Order: sequence, then structure tokens, then C-alpha cells
Amino acid sequence: MPRELYALIGPSTPALSAQLAKPRLKQKPNFGGTAPRTKWELRTFKNPARKDGLELRHWEKVGADSAADYPFAKYDIQPNSYQYSPEEYTRLLEDKDWTKEETDYLLSVVKEYDSRWYIVHDRYNFPGGHERTLEDLKDRYCSVCRKLIRNRPWAGDDAGKTLLISSYQFDKEREVTRKKYLKSLEDRTPDQMAEEEALYIEVKRLEQSERRFKRDRENLLRTLAGIDSGLPDIVEDDPLPLAILEGSKTKTKKTKGVAEAESPATPAAAPAPTVKKPIKSAAYDAQHCIIRTETLSAAIATKAAHQPAYLRSFKLPAPKAAIAPKVTQALAELGISHTRLVMPTRENALLLDSLIEATTTLVETKRAYDKAEYEIQVLENRLGLREKSQPAEGAEGKIEGGAGMDVNDAQVGKEVEETDGEDGRAQSILSARSGGRSRKHARRSMSISSVDTVSTRANNKRQKRN
Amino acid sequence: MVNYGGDEVSALVIDIGASSVRAGYAGDDCPKAIIPTSYGYHPAPPDADVTMSDGAENIDAVNKSKFANIYIGQSGPSIWREGMEVGNPMVEGLIQDFNPIKPLIDHALEKTMRVNSSEHPILVTEPTWNTPANRERMAEIMFEEFNVPAFYIANTGVLNAFAAGKGSALVIDVGQSMASVTPVVDGFVLRKGLSYSPLPKLIHAHARHILISPTPHRRGIELLPHQLIANKTLVDAGAPPKFTIRQDRIAGTTESWRNWAETREIDEWVQSVAGVLDQGWNDAVAAQRTARQYEFPTGYNNYFGLERFQVGEQFFTHSPQLVASNPNLPKTIPQLITEALRACDPELRQVLMGNVVLTGGGTLFSGFADRLTAELTRSFPHTKIHAPGNPVERRYGGWLGGSILASLGTFHQLWISKEEWQEHGKPIVGQRCK
Ligand SMILES: Nc1ncnc2c1ncn2[C@@H]1O[C@H](COP(=O)(O)OP(=O)(O)OP(=O)(O)O)[C@@H](O)[C@H]1O
Ligand SMILES: [Mg+2]
Repeated sequence: MPRELYALIGPSTPALSAQLAKPRLKQKPNFGGTAPRTKWELRTFKNPARKDGLELRHWEKVGADSAADYPFAKYDIQPNSYQYSPEEYTRLLEDKDWTKEETDYLLSVVKEYDSRWYIVHDRYNFPGGHERTLEDLKDRYCSVCRKLIRNRPWAGDDAGKTLLISSYQFDKEREVTRKKYLKSLEDRTPDQMAEEEALYIEVKRLEQSERRFKRDRENLLRTLAGIDSGLPDIVEDDPLPLAILEGSKTKTKKTKGVAEAESPATPAAAPAPTVKKPIKSAAYDAQHCIIRTETLSAAIATKAAHQPAYLRSFKLPAPKAAIAPKVTQALAELGISHTRLVMPTRENALLLDSLIEATTTLVETKRAYDKAEYEIQVLENRLGLREKSQPAEGAEGKIEGGAGMDVNDAQVGKEVEETDGEDGRAQSILSARSGGRSRKHARRSMSISSVDTVSTRANNKRQKRN
Repeated sequence: MVNYGGDEVSALVIDIGASSVRAGYAGDDCPKAIIPTSYGYHPAPPDADVTMSDGAENIDAVNKSKFANIYIGQSGPSIWREGMEVGNPMVEGLIQDFNPIKPLIDHALEKTMRVNSSEHPILVTEPTWNTPANRERMAEIMFEEFNVPAFYIANTGVLNAFAAGKGSALVIDVGQSMASVTPVVDGFVLRKGLSYSPLPKLIHAHARHILISPTPHRRGIELLPHQLIANKTLVDAGAPPKFTIRQDRIAGTTESWRNWAETREIDEWVQSVAGVLDQGWNDAVAAQRTARQYEFPTGYNNYFGLERFQVGEQFFTHSPQLVASNPNLPKTIPQLITEALRACDPELRQVLMGNVVLTGGGTLFSGFADRLTAELTRSFPHTKIHAPGNPVERRYGGWLGGSILASLGTFHQLWISKEEWQEHGKPIVGQRCK
């Protein structure tokens, strides 16, 4: 090795032995493993599906069984067809519109084209016969088959027989109408199609806004009447949107009507638990006459603790039932009715409250005064009697007094009942509500039919599009 | 093997059209032999026995009386021969003259494919409007003259549907001589729904008219084929051509050959230049499209703009002045489709319009498929058009369907065998091939 070369490659001289080893060829790929090569041969074969002896040739694997049936012969399936004797024809199949010859011809054509009715109708050409529609042909064929099955001895069970008969069921009228509809569907002008499209979109839009409306109302009801009120009978995805539209309209009208019957009201209520309004500044509140009350509902979210929103006029302060008539009477003397506030603002409500409280106190004081007066009188009487030293009469007076109190009590109770009846606001609301609901039910059942047609039309349309 | 249902029995498929005869093995994806249907011949002189000239076919006794020599294939009519006439057996898609059929098929099978017809079952195609006499004659030729072991004649409409992989379809076939719309349901043609017209002939005539009649900015064009031109020199676009005619050939050129050659020139111009606007006729749009240059064998060349779109428009609408001057115009494609659909059951229309199959060389016309799609979706929004992009598949759809059908295992029970032919005679054709 020359020195220059050594200087270049240094002591790491490549081993020459590797290069001198005998080159090895890549191993031959072994296609198909050890299995012997498949041999094919050209063979003649007969097709059992043929009635003649035609022999064709194709390639087959050498090992294959040459005596085996032609594999495609099994696809040769003859449709079952019905034949009838002349006697059967006269007994069962007479029809004033069809001759026996034409019926024979019909059956042969149906058999020939394997009940492909469009083709049967296309190729049907009975010399001397008049024009027949596809439905005519199908009707006749099916009725012939049905009659034959029904009147022939049947080997199997009845279920099989009815099943077979039902497979030949054909309702000509319905088919004709269906085709007519189909035709009218196709004969629509572009204008009509556009209109239909527009209507369809409109219905969709209505449905959508209806759903939104329903949701809003639900929220409102929850706000007003508590968390478990709302609309139990309305599911979110109601398939009958129009019925709801009808029903809800009447219902909202009712509730609105009730609200309007009450005096104009400013709601002083807790905000709905579901809707969290952003807390605005005090200035904003003052400007919009909003008075905030502390609500515990945020902290306690249980159903029991939940206090639904209410109208202030619903919860006007009322005197204690026992003395209510007296209070009413006292106020009436002054020309004031405490059951109704023309302007039930917060201040007015408070004033009314204090008025009633004052009246109550007045009435109670009067009562206490009366009682004391009475007692004094009784005691004076007793004193007078004792002075006359007649003890028996005192007992009589006691009895008399008890009876007077009894009468008084009874009178009070009666008056309480009367006031209840008078003020039965809750009752009237309830009845109004139930009335509304029952009417709504009626409406809904009425509108189901109309909605049905709408939705089927929509379905048709969708089919058409497909 | 059974899985795909194929069982090849080395059947042959022959599809005879007005422009070409297609022949090949069943199971192949394109025909092995494609030869022009037009043939050249020298008429037989009253008595004398002429010697065979170069390139001529062997002629059997029947044809001896009519043709002295017959020239078929690539070197058939396209080669100029003194006194050679050109004939075509097809009229309106049907075989009118059966004399040259045997030499044509012979040429395709024996000369081009080099097969022995007596060893192969043969499937032949026919248009839907074929007459029973015609198909029986075809069967007779096949059994008696080609000695085939088995024969079947199938409908091109059905075969085109099969080639598209469909059992039910509305087949729109525009060939060289005929345009047809055929509803196919479950592998059968609805005969009542068939509608057809010689529309391609009108397109051709229109193109010829455009070319040969002078316009304000261009002279009438001479449609001389290159066989008659000795030499030419390059000229500018629109300039009068400079060429020399082969005077020696003019005298020996027959009227029919001249006609055939001109037709070819026009066809070539149509195929390379003509088109159709895809959204209906619109002068502004047509003027916007780029003009195309085309050079004729004479050396004359020019740019064709508006004119090239007028040609294709004839497929879809007839101009009012044309309608006024000619009451029996062939029906346009939309008219054919409307007529076909009107005759079909309303229930079928949706199915058919969802399976429109476009086939035939005429549909390769540039812009044809797009325009048809635009026309159809206007009245049937759910139209689906199957138009193979492969020109071979498009032009030879009928042959391809035959190739598929004749290689199916289940089909082999349908062949009319020689034995059956001998036993039942002609009626078997009508019974078997429905
Ligand atoms: N690219 C093309 N553009 C326009 N036309 C074309 C094109 N290719 C072929 N053609 C036309 O197609 C016609 C041939 O079509 P095809 O082979 O389907 O006819 P055919 O089946 O022989 O005739 P027919 O169906 O009428 O018996 C010719 O007239 C030819 O001009
Ligand atoms: Mg064709």
C-alpha cells in the first residue's frame, strides 16, 4: 500500500475478506407454497336448465368433478303459475268484461314475463281485445288466482292459504287513485312547486316559532307558579305543533284575562330561579321603579323553600279571620273597602297594612273595653244582689252569660264562612284554568286531523324528493 | 367463479351500427375489431368474369351477381380506387341490404380477429325498432352461413343499460343515423315508450350547409378529400386555398365515393370544432366563446366561432324559420325524452329519470352531456345522468353490454342452439329473444 494512501485511510483498512466472499443471489420467491400448480382444461358442459343438448365449452380446474351439475342451472327458477280447466272457468271465473281466450292470453303473458307488470302491460296485445290498463290486467290476474286458490282443495293449513291469498290481494280503486295523485304531483307547474316549497318552509318556520313560544311560556309559568308547575301535558318535541298553537293561545288568553281582572299590578316578586338577570345598579332600579327584595331562593334551592313570584295584589294584608267582620264593618263606616286596592303599590300596601292593623287594634281594644264593661256590670249586679242577699239568682246570670257568648261565637263562624266565599279568588282561578284546559283538549283533538294531513303531505314531498 | 356470476364460453359479440361494425370476445372490455360499416365495391358487370383486385374480399356466389369486388375495413372505402362505389347496408339503424353483411362480419371475425365462427356462440345486437323479419334473417345468416353453434340477438337499449350496470334505465342513444330514447325496466324494453328520430342526419346536413354556403365574411368551403388533392400550400386563415387537384382521379371518382368522402370531412369538422352551449342558446355567450381554427384537406383554414355552436343547438331546439320551412323535422332530444316518458307509467318516471344512460358516438359531441343535464334538471330536479367519460365505453356501450351479458353463467340457457334452430325454425328467435 502506497504511503500516500495509507496517510489518507489510516490504520482502519477495510477487510478484503468481506468483498471476496461469494455473492449470494436473492432467494427465489416461492409463489403458492408447495401446492402443485393448478391446471385448467377446456371442457364441454351441458346446462341442465336447457331443454336441448347444446354443449358449450369453458375452462375448468382439472381436478374438478366433471359430472357435477352446471353451477348456474340452479338459478333457473320457474315462477309458479295457475292453470284452470274449462269447467273451472265457467264455474268460478266468468267475468262479463273478459273472455276465456283473453284470460288465457293474460295468464300466458304474465307467466312469460314473470309477473313484471310493467313489461306485461307493455307487451300485452290481445288481438281483437280493447285497450287495458295495467290495473285492469293486474286486477283480473289477481282475482283469477285468488278464486282458484280459494276453491281448490288445500293441502296445508289455513294460515298458509290465507297468506297465499293475501299475496294476490289487489285493490284496483286504490291503485288507480294513487296513480292519479302521482300524476297530479308530476303535473304541477313550476309556480305551484315553488308555492308548495314556500308553504313548506312557512310551516317549518311556524313550527319553530311555536316551539320557541312554548318554551318561553313554560319558563314564565315556572316563574309565576313555582318550579313544579308549568305544562306537564306538553312535551318539548310535540309532534302536533299546530294543536299546541291552538291550545296555548286560548290558555294564555285566559290567564291574561284573570290578570287583567285584578287591579293594575306591579310585580314585586323574586326573579325566576331559572333566569338570572344581571344585577343592575341602584340608580337603574330607582329609574325603573324596581324594588328588590332579599331572595333566599338563590341559597336554598329546594322546592319547599322556593317562593314563586306573585302579584302584590294577591297578597294584600287581611285582618284576622275572627275579627274580620268587625274590621270590615268599622272600615265600612268610614267608607273604606280593605279587600280592594285601586293602586296596590308597595307604599299603598304598607299603608293598608297599617290601617288594618290599626283597625284591628281598635276593634280589639273596643272588645276588651266591652268585655271589661260587661264584667263590671255583672259584678255590679252581683254586688247588688248580694246586698239583697239572694244567692240563687247569681247562678242564673252565669248561665245567661254563657249562652250569649255561644251565640256570639256562632255568628262569628258564619261570617268567616261568608268572607271565604266572597274572596274565593283561588277557586275562581282554578276553575278558569280547568275550563281552559278542557277546551284546549277539545281543540287539539279537532286539529289533529288537519295536522295529520299536513304532515303526510310533507312526507309525500320528502318522498318525491328522494 | 360463481360469485361474480361469470362463466366465459368464448362467445363472440357483434354490434352492427351505421358507422362501424364492432366485434370481440364476450368478457372483454372493448371490441377487438372495429371496422367501418361503409364498404367500397365495384359493381358486377353484366357478364364478364373480373379478376380479383388488390385488397378485395372473397365473394361468395350470392354476392357475385352484385359485386365484382368488395373492399372492407381500414383499407376499404378510404382508399381511392377507380370506379369504386361506396355502399352502406344500414338505413335508419336497420339493416336494409343483407348482401354485404356476410362479407362485413367475415372481415371482422376471420380477417381481423382470426377466429372460426363455427366454434363460438355469437350474440348480435339489434335496435329496438328492428323488424321480426330482420332478426330472423340475421339468425338465418348466422346459422346457415357462419354455422355458429348458438346465437342470440339482444336489444341495444337493454345492453346499454347493462353496460352502465343498471337493470332499469332511460337509455339515450345518439348514433350516426338515429337518435333514440328507450325506457328499460328490469332488463326489458318498454316498447310503447320507445321514441326515435333521424336527428343526427339533420345535424350533419346542417353542418354541411354551414360549411358549403358562403357567408359575408367567408366563401363557401370545398369539401375535397385528401385522396383527390395532389399538393397544397400553407395559406393564412380565411385566405383562398392554394392546391392542385389530382386530375387523373377525377374522372374515375364515383358520385357515391365523393359523397362518402365529403361526409367524412364534415364529420371530422363536427367532431373537432362543433359544440353546444350548456345553458341554451344565447348570442352573447356564443360570441364570447373562443373561436376554433380548423384546416380542411384543401389547405383552407379559418376560425369558427358562432357557427360551431349553431350546429349543436339543433340537438335541442329547432329554429322557428327551420320549422316553418320544413314541417317534418326529426324530433329533438328533449322531445324524444318527453314522448318516451309520457308513454310510461307515472310511477316509472322517477325511476327512469334517476337512471338516465347516455350512449352512442353522437353524445360525445362537445358540451352535449352538460347541456342535457341542464335541460333535464330544469324539469326533473332529481335527474341522474350516467355518461361514461371513457369514449370507448360511451361509443360502444351496446357492445360492452353484450360482452357482459354473453359472459354470464346464467345467460347460457338463453342461447338459441343450432339444434333448436333446425327443429323450430324462425319462430324460435321471437320466442327466445324477448
Ligand atoms: N367526439 C365526437 N364528437 C362528435 N361526434 C362524434 C364524436 N365521436 C363520434 N361521433 C359521431 O358518432 C357517430 C358514431 O356513433 P356510433 O358509433 O354510436 O354510431 P352507430 O352505432 O354506428 O350508429 P347508429 O346507432 O345510428 O346505427 C358518428 O356519426 C360520429 O360522427
Ligand atoms: Mg348505435
